[in-house]
Amino acid sequence: MSFLEVRDVVTAYGKIEALKGVSLEVAEGAITCLLGPNGAGKTTLMMTLAGILRPKQGSIVFAGEEIAGRAPHAIVARGVALVPENRLVFPAMTVLENMHAGAYQRGDKKTVPGDIERMFARFPRLKERAAQQAGTLSGGEQQMLAVARALMSRPKLLLMDEPSLGLAPLVVEEIFRIVTELHRDGTTIFLVEQNAHMALRVAQHFYLMEQGKVTFSGDPGSLAEDEVIRRAYLGSAQRPA
Amino acid sequence: MIADLVQNTLDGLSAGATYALLALGFTLIFGVLRRANLSFGPAIMFGCYAATWTHVNFGAGLLLLALITVSGAVLAGAYVERLCFAPHRGGSAIAAMVASFALWMQFEELATLIMPRHLYAFPLLYEGDPLALGPFTLRIDALAMLGAALAACLALWWTLYRTRFGLAVRALIEQPAAAALAGINVPWVFVRVFALASAIGGVAGYLVVASHGQITPMLGMWATLKGLLAMMLGGLGSLPGAVIGGLALGLIEAHTQWYLGPQMRDLIAYLLLFVLLAARVPWMTTRSAS
Amino acid sequence: MDDYAIGVLTNIALFSFIALSAYLLLIAGEMSFGQQAFFGVGAYAGGILTTLYAWPLPLAALAAMALGAVAQFLVALPTLRLRGLHFAMATLAAAEMARILFELMHWRREIDGELAGPDGTQGFRGIRWIFEHGIEPLHYLGIVGVLLALVLALFLMIERSKLGATLRGVGLDPELAASVGIDVQRIKLGVAAAAGALAALGGVLYAHHNTYIEPRNFDIMLGVHSLAYALIGGLGTAFGPLLGVLLDIGTLESTRVFHGYRMIVFGGLVALVLVYRPRGLLDERTVQWLRQRFS
Repeated sequence: MSFLEVRDVVTAYGKIEALKGVSLEVAEGAITCLLGPNGAGKTTLMMTLAGILRPKQGSIVFAGEEIAGRAPHAIVARGVALVPENRLVFPAMTVLENMHAGAYQRGDKKTVPGDIERMFARFPRLKERAAQQAGTLSGGEQQMLAVARALMSRPKLLLMDEPSLGLAPLVVEEIFRIVTELHRDGTTIFLVEQNAHMALRVAQHFYLMEQGKVTFSGDPGSLAEDEVIRRAYLGSAQRPA
Repeated sequence: MIADLVQNTLDGLSAGATYALLALGFTLIFGVLRRANLSFGPAIMFGCYAATWTHVNFGAGLLLLALITVSGAVLAGAYVERLCFAPHRGGSAIAAMVASFALWMQFEELATLIMPRHLYAFPLLYEGDPLALGPFTLRIDALAMLGAALAACLALWWTLYRTRFGLAVRALIEQPAAAALAGINVPWVFVRVFALASAIGGVAGYLVVASHGQITPMLGMWATLKGLLAMMLGGLGSLPGAVIGGLALGLIEAHTQWYLGPQMRDLIAYLLLFVLLAARVPWMTTRSAS
Repeated sequence: MDDYAIGVLTNIALFSFIALSAYLLLIAGEMSFGQQAFFGVGAYAGGILTTLYAWPLPLAALAAMALGAVAQFLVALPTLRLRGLHFAMATLAAAEMARILFELMHWRREIDGELAGPDGTQGFRGIRWIFEHGIEPLHYLGIVGVLLALVLALFLMIERSKLGATLRGVGLDPELAASVGIDVQRIKLGVAAAAGALAALGGVLYAHHNTYIEPRNFDIMLGVHSLAYALIGGLGTAFGPLLGVLLDIGTLESTRVFHGYRMIVFGGLVALVLVYRPRGLLDERTVQWLRQRFS
């Protein structure tokens, strides 16, 4: 049984179906990544997994439990946390408050300060800026804060939606280094990325998504990298000139 | 001349304190739900009438009446939240606002049915003489209003910045999408924000009725109009703005009423709002209803 | 038909005009808290013209409509780019200003040895043109009914035309409409003027039916009601607002069962219906379904 099993999920905005029957699996302890062109539905899938969107059809089973259509806070409580596209930090709150927000629904309040210390150890730049308003941080720092915030809920599965979006190459390297670290420390990660090159370097398994459906599933190396990149940016349909 | 100016300023500030509380209530709901609750004033009126009814039938002390007013407002607010805002949470803002408008009709008719007379006396906050400070008079109840409003603001500040609930409220105001992702139970926060806003409104309502010594069914409309006006003047969706807007409205009203009379007072307040909206002054248009 | 029934039917027709004006704006995507102002403009203008200057009612009605259109146009012009609550608050501010101006308006002339005309908060009595010209209540109901029917026919024609689709497009997604070349500002101004004229028409007819008007008649409660009528009746068709008025005035008033509880029942009904039908009873989907079943 896989850690996360998504079966035939259909999510629609009004009458328009953004996900037309998506099926995939995420193995425990692995980094799985989802590639595909803009508009393929990757963010819609992430939002559906996180509970922000309700699927019209299909099932999402996490650690043996059906989570499709459950409220977002209930899904967080079950150990799934999403680092959203565009980071969405709480701009007027301090870095520290943002992290406390991530721990909002944890019952074990006493262990939160310890976790915060561990976050600061992992993200030293955040520690420097602990009392600073999150809106004043750089893009890379906000990304790290968004990751730290999600980690504060002690997720078993971490979803990440385009963590490298809008960041400089050096910062992107740092982000992926953190992804590798988290993986090494046992977190299961499901990662949506536009940066196919970096994503394939860290993933154990990847999916390609186009126009609301999964079109390819395999290990890095099962498809030539330039072919993957081509499909990730342009899709696999041959378009007439 | 100067004496008038100072006196009007003092009076304006104490009226403004009440407006600030009303605006805070509206802003809390708007900031978190992105919708205006048009039954906010009527729900406050419900609480005030509950207190009036208690007083008329049983007689009651100031503190008990205040408690009843606040509880009544919270109860009425919960009714509005369940019927008008919870069902439309991801849906139509217009439906929610018009529904809350519709409940206004209910509250107003209910008030006239239960307490049929147009005007009822309400125990005054303070029945003694005003304090004389040289050429100025300071009404004790005006001082009490300022004090109560200040206390309410401090309590609100403490709630928002020193409690877990307050963190959730601020998260929803600043970044609603991420708030749910952080594990915040958004619908439950909405319910509690409504209760908090209604309680603040109840305090404002009690202060108004107890300082005027009377209550009429016009209270609902009055509170809604003043609260909306103050909220918009101070910048939609900003809590400090609500306080500033309320105080500013009080000051503007006091001064224009002194020189130009009560109708011009209202006319100028609405004109100011219209002009500010039309000029799309940035602080007024930072947040919009979804 | 007895006088009471005639009165009820006339009221239904009169308030349909203001309900339709709120509906028109809702279709174009704007929620107005202020249609009562233009209803009042029509009432006062029409009343003044017939009572103080002996204008015939039809002419006075046309002038009232023109004035209502201009007034709402002038309010819409500076507030065009406002959306949602901001626009609604601007309309509310304008409407309250209008109401205060009605309170301040003293426009008195001596007619037949007596002072007549609006007298501020004392109101405007003696708007007796229809009685002086021997128009029976039943005839007046006929006139109002025919006018309403004409308005409805106009609405239905526009619904089926390209203009109607454009209006709804602007209402649902103004950015999209603008991107396909629709002049959203011009549409909104046109809608505003039409809504103002419509409300004013209702107002002038209302003033002559009641013979007495006062500023309090045009307060925010009237605006609340017109929005409620439009939304509960449904935004799918011009019959929607009519249904809303019918539900309130027609059913509840005439059955007398809910006498004294009318606003409690109607207010609750509106909120309840909106839970299940956020765009009203005759919403776009229902109208579509009805059209398919009966065509």
